[in-house]
Amino acid sequence: MKKNLSLLFAAAFVFLSLSACGAPREYASDFFAMDTYMSSKTYGTDASGAVKEEAERLESLFSVTDENSEIGVLNVKGSVKASTETVELIEKALEISEKTDGALDITVYPAVKAWGFTTGDYAVPSPERIEELRALTDYEKVDIDGDTVSVPEGFMIDLGAVAKGYLGDRVRVILKDSGITSAIADLGGNIVTVGDKPDGSPWRVAIRDPNGDGSVGVIEVTDKCVVTSGGYERYFTDENGVKRWHIIDPATAQPADGGLLSATVIGEGCVLCDGLSTAIFVMGAEKAKALWQSEGGFEMILVTKAGEVLVTDGIKDSFFLDGGSGYELKVIG
Amino acid sequence: MIRTRTWIVIIAALAVAAAGAILLIRFFGAPGTTAEIVKGGEVLYTIDLDKVTTEYEIEIGDEDGDRNTVTVRPGMICVSSADCPDKICVNTGWASKNHPYPIICMPHELIIRIVGAEGEADAEAG
Repeated sequence: MKKNLSLLFAAAFVFLSLSACGAPREYASDFFAMDTYMSSKTYGTDASGAVKEEAERLESLFSVTDENSEIGVLNVKGSVKASTETVELIEKALEISEKTDGALDITVYPAVKAWGFTTGDYAVPSPERIEELRALTDYEKVDIDGDTVSVPEGFMIDLGAVAKGYLGDRVRVILKDSGITSAIADLGGNIVTVGDKPDGSPWRVAIRDPNGDGSVGVIEVTDKCVVTSGGYERYFTDENGVKRWHIIDPATAQPADGGLLSATVIGEGCVLCDGLSTAIFVMGAEKAKALWQSEGGFEMILVTKAGEVLVTDGIKDSFFLDGGSGYELKVIG
Repeated sequence: MIRTRTWIVIIAALAVAAAGAILLIRFFGAPGTTAEIVKGGEVLYTIDLDKVTTEYEIEIGDEDGDRNTVTVRPGMICVSSADCPDKICVNTGWASKNHPYPIICMPHELIIRIVGAEGEADAEAG
């Protein structure tokens, strides 16, 4: 009888060990925050509650649609006594504006609003209105005095181009502080990775094909952020059949036309990746190349209207073009 | 004695069969590509996309009058039309086994997510 029992245990052991396989447990969650959909997968430790809480906390500071957020108050009153984090993020955004010659501009919000991208009531503003909007867009007019941020009358700030990036940087800190060494989060399309996959291989992030349903290729990353800006999801078609997308060129107060269909930036800092992806979409491939050469600290994948995929030299071996996508791969050196 | 031997054979056979079954499921019996249509946090539909043979539509409405029309085809699913202001759900296009990334309609709190598919990547930037 004893023998029978031990055999039974042996069988049970074989069964259990085969089904467990020793991989760390995956904790997945998804939620809506910051006007977008977010999801996360962590391995070994569950941190989904912390990610969601942080997204909601930052939303209450940065949201442009919430009149009670610090940015909301600033836009209504023209001035606000802001938290250290809001001041810090505005300063970071202004730094990116300077580096990109104003291609990123957190004061472009009146124009975004006038085009209807905040409400869905799309409209092409009149030439006179466009001139007014251009006069209401200038990041150099944002004044920071200690913890007080102010803007001239009629100006508005939107941190939408950097807020999800800031969340990405915070999420990476929170996950690492919880001892997590392997995680991936999709924060409204911004992909944030911690370490490698549980099996030790790099994370694989697909880059959306702006012209179709598939992807242009896959980039392999370790402990990085991958942020794409493009005009392929949030757009409307005007009465002349022209696609008008939500990324507004601060210089013209009209949808950006830098010759790109999407711009992806890969790097360590998510705020930088987030802000630069917008700026690079606005400035186009030539200026982006010059910026990459002079500044460094990031890599990029640009999908051009001409059907090319341009990747910077630092990622040429970790980017894999989808053979069936029909794009021509070129390396920027 | 004979009884003990019979037990050994039975248990050994069971162990081998169980191990074999697990290995088979693990390596060959990958579950089908399943789409979940989630609204307001509740899973409304679970569709095995591999078993779809003909195209059909599902109307997803709610008491606020919000509407999304979902089109299901063999192996793929999309939001084909919607009365949301931004139409991002429609512009997102198809989700499938090879492109298993979620389709979101923020204004209507609608998510179509693909489960059980190993795509070419772990996530999609965009």
